[in-house]
Amino acid sequence: MEKKRGETIWTSLDRKATAIAEFTMRQYRTRISTWVVLGVGFLAISVVLLFYIDAMNTDIEAIDNDGDSYDWDGDGYVNGQEIKYGTDLNDAFSHPGLLNPPIEPEPASMYINEDDYDWDYSDASSITTGYDNDGDCANSSLLLSQQDGNGDGTPCNIILRYDSLNGGYIVFADPYVDEDPDEDRYGKEAQHRAFILGIGKLGFVFLLSIFIPLFLATGLIRDEMTSGTMQYMTAKPIARGEIFLYRMLGYLAIVWPYLIMLCSLLALVSGIMGPGDQFFRFGDLGVWFSILIAALLATLVYGMLFAFLGVLWKYGIILALPIAAWELGMALLSMSVPESSFLRMSIVGWSMSIIDSGAYLAWPDMAMFTQAGEWAGGSNQGDTFLMFGGNELPGYGALEWAQSDLGLGLGPYATTVVSVIVLLFQATFFWFIGQLIFKSKEIV
Amino acid sequence: MSEETTIDASTPVTGQSRMDAAWGSDSSDVASVAKSVAQTGQVFEQVYVPWEGKLNPRWMRNWAIFRHHVLGIVRKGHRPWGVPTKLVLIFVLIASMTDVALTLLFAIVGEPGLYEAWGVGRNNLYGHILGFFPRNMLYYPLVAALLVGGVISEDRSNGTSALYFSRPINRFDYVGMKYLAVATIQAFIIIGTLFVYYFVDILAMGRGWAWVLDTMPLFLTAVFCAILLVVTYTSIGLSLSSVSRGKFFPGIALLAILLGTKTLAAIVEGLFDRSILYLISPYDSVAHVGQALLGTNVIYDHPWIWSLASVLAINAISLYVLSVRVSSMEVTRE
Amino acid sequence: MIPDIAQEGSAQEEQWVPEPKAPVVMFNNVGKTYGRYQAIGGVSLALSGGVTGILGLNGAGKSTLFKLLMGKLQPTQGEVRLFGTNPWKNPAPYARVGYVPENENMHDWMTAHEFVSTFARLHGLTRDEAKQEAERVLEFVGLSDVMHKKIGRYSKGMRQRAKIAHALVNDPDLIILDEPLQGCDPLARTTIMNVIRELGRMGRTVLLSSHILSEIERITEQIVILHQGRLLAIGNLHAIREQLDNIPHTIEIECGDAKALAQDVLSLEVVHGLQFPSPTKLKIFTHHLGEFHQRLPKIIVDNNHDVMVINNPDDDLQSILGYLTGGYN
Repeated sequence: MEKKRGETIWTSLDRKATAIAEFTMRQYRTRISTWVVLGVGFLAISVVLLFYIDAMNTDIEAIDNDGDSYDWDGDGYVNGQEIKYGTDLNDAFSHPGLLNPPIEPEPASMYINEDDYDWDYSDASSITTGYDNDGDCANSSLLLSQQDGNGDGTPCNIILRYDSLNGGYIVFADPYVDEDPDEDRYGKEAQHRAFILGIGKLGFVFLLSIFIPLFLATGLIRDEMTSGTMQYMTAKPIARGEIFLYRMLGYLAIVWPYLIMLCSLLALVSGIMGPGDQFFRFGDLGVWFSILIAALLATLVYGMLFAFLGVLWKYGIILALPIAAWELGMALLSMSVPESSFLRMSIVGWSMSIIDSGAYLAWPDMAMFTQAGEWAGGSNQGDTFLMFGGNELPGYGALEWAQSDLGLGLGPYATTVVSVIVLLFQATFFWFIGQLIFKSKEIV
Repeated sequence: MSEETTIDASTPVTGQSRMDAAWGSDSSDVASVAKSVAQTGQVFEQVYVPWEGKLNPRWMRNWAIFRHHVLGIVRKGHRPWGVPTKLVLIFVLIASMTDVALTLLFAIVGEPGLYEAWGVGRNNLYGHILGFFPRNMLYYPLVAALLVGGVISEDRSNGTSALYFSRPINRFDYVGMKYLAVATIQAFIIIGTLFVYYFVDILAMGRGWAWVLDTMPLFLTAVFCAILLVVTYTSIGLSLSSVSRGKFFPGIALLAILLGTKTLAAIVEGLFDRSILYLISPYDSVAHVGQALLGTNVIYDHPWIWSLASVLAINAISLYVLSVRVSSMEVTRE
Repeated sequence: MIPDIAQEGSAQEEQWVPEPKAPVVMFNNVGKTYGRYQAIGGVSLALSGGVTGILGLNGAGKSTLFKLLMGKLQPTQGEVRLFGTNPWKNPAPYARVGYVPENENMHDWMTAHEFVSTFARLHGLTRDEAKQEAERVLEFVGLSDVMHKKIGRYSKGMRQRAKIAHALVNDPDLIILDEPLQGCDPLARTTIMNVIRELGRMGRTVLLSSHILSEIERITEQIVILHQGRLLAIGNLHAIREQLDNIPHTIEIECGDAKALAQDVLSLEVVHGLQFPSPTKLKIFTHHLGEFHQRLPKIIVDNNHDVMVINNPDDDLQSILGYLTGGYN
């Protein structure tokens, strides 16, 4: 055919590529199963979202982490007040009411959550932070040397030292500093972050990115071959590798907008519902963006893989199931041991490292934040006087479950770039083998 | 070309004149109608020879359907199950006898400590049927998915249901026998190996009657749980098979339901520490009931009665969908 | 792979140019076996121009031949050439080929117009060109009034015509039709036959397969007979028939008075035998079927015979195949 004027690569592309891509999209649109699959995926994510909204609207019960709201000796003055005035906690005949002038007893609620969680973020390996909000350290009858328990020369502060061996911070706190953090404030923030990470990793990158391609991409070539309608397409002057690729484009044209829409919806809802004074949590958008990138790439790679399996064998879908099981194992592994080298042989491991990098960039205080949850105002340390310790702050468990460190030993940007390249390579690889096999397939 | 006719009590009752009366425009008792006198066509004389064969009883016909499906697993000339299906069945059958092999091994070696870990007991009976990894993650759902895969949906897409419905078989029997066949094959794998496990334990360890009496209730409970599991998987699978077309869609859909709901519930439990969502997971509901009945460690927070109700509800919905779909199924190639 | 910029239909670097003097279709000692079953064995054939009918019974290898030509199957022996190019793993020559598969499944969810224009774009047409082209070919096959209806609601004849339209969309030099008349009613059959004849008149090379001789006869005289994967005969239908003239043919006539008719018929020198199965039935044996049929009507009309049925049990593919394979007795 004569080349016409104004012919560019795009007008050329428009002919074959968009013809097949549009054809594939229309084919998906006319199938009820497509809508059922996408609808069920939406429903599943919405259910988790409902639990999240419910959690955000439920106040987390305040816990008296340091136990100073109790009145051990029953004299009407809670321990905190007695400590403040230096009277004996265990002697009913020693309380601030006997002082001159006598002091009225304060309500117990004043001594719950009296020290907020307020640590400054810094990426130094040793941080001085923490504020004695209630003044029970600075105003106490302790000696100056006792107020500086961690020996850094500043009384009533907290030192966080990065422990490169364990990969976390160690808390060195002066007495009575941040000893009773606000559970609701910490817990909501932790649950919020855990929700974003959990839904991103297991909801988007695992659940949606495996099952949607399993339903939609496996038959991309195979169904047409089984029903014989592939005969029409292969009789046209177009290479089979291109058919494979452009069919995939049509699949992506359905799946990617869906993921973008779902991800934006969740980002919007969680941004508004999330804890904090601001109207919208813009800071989280980075994480949502990395989740989106990870999910888009994962659906691409799984789509290519399953379409390839479909081309490979009539029963290719059976091969997809052990792969899905392996990927589930890898998903759980990447959440607990992100540096495991098994993850390099998976798709989900690379996708999740993109999310971890995004979270690392958006929430740089994550390591400190989780440490605060575990420390829980000192109730998980041996040196506290608290009797009912051993409890992390609420939300800590969920966050610890959903969050993981960067496993590649690279910085967040490098991790993202490497992971994206690897995923694109995987997609290309599966496409390449797929089209090789498709090319030498006899279509009966 | 017409003549007047009167219709009254003495008119012979033929289809023709009655039809005419119905079209008459006169409202009086004696209708006056225009009757066509056009020449009627020649009626071919046809000889009708009534069928005098003997129809076998219903159960015999049903047995034939059942046999056709079950025997197809092992023999040619019956329902052709795919080669991968057969391979997976063999693999799962062998893989679900790992506890049998270990029991035998340790009974022979005679190491009581190791034997305790693998012999018949509450936890092991539970694990044989309801253990999640690998049995209910990889084996049993995959078996169910492959079996239900094309059982009804292929009939729908190929129009082969006509082969059944052109014979004296009603739809209830058709779907019932398919259900039974699929359930039986699964039960053979799950409950069959449970029996083997139990009897190998008795034989290998030379158990006495006291032990058998002691463990029999537990064993029967385990069998009951296995039946519950098989029935639940089959109900969901067949209802999916009845609403979809093709060989694989129902299978993937079954796996997506079984594993997807479980993953979803696990996400919610991990994030918000609430186990209530496990009620939508068929596997977890059955597992919860099993834990409660067998007396093993219950890992869910909600009462097990809820899970039982959920199992019943899941089965009821599935069977309802199945019956509605099959009764309204058009016998054609879709 | 970079999408094809040259728009010549191939993913190859250089433009595909058909070999100038090569026959459109060439099979050189081609064989195809599926496992131990031989679908085609040792077929050699070269065709250029005109309408050619491929005749054969079910399983004779007609579809296999076409699929080899369309690069859907790989020959186990010999070579297949389409415009002098090997079609296996090379879609370039399809730019000049239109293929109507035998398969009845179509994209039922599309309208015929969408179907044809979508596939036209795979020939490198732009969106608008494809739409115009689709309208043109749908008009040509006589579907222009229903072309915006879903294919799923078409009758069999309309589906066949939609398939033909899709194959004609690039104005191909070679059109391959696998059983185009199968399952069509007489009306659709006539329409499709007219379309095929028209294509032949336009100078295209048309290959069509069928197992019904009379169908092919109405379209073309150039036939290829395949039997059990082997080439049995190539050439003009009449030439093949002439060959058959050395073998006696049987004609059965049912008439009022068989004896009277027999007397008149015996006057023809081409008749060399008679049989009377019943008083109203006459069996005639002849070596020259064509001539006999030319002269029979005159005899019947002149002598005013009451003829009810003229049965020509030999004039079907089965018996021709029988003669050609020497199975006649």
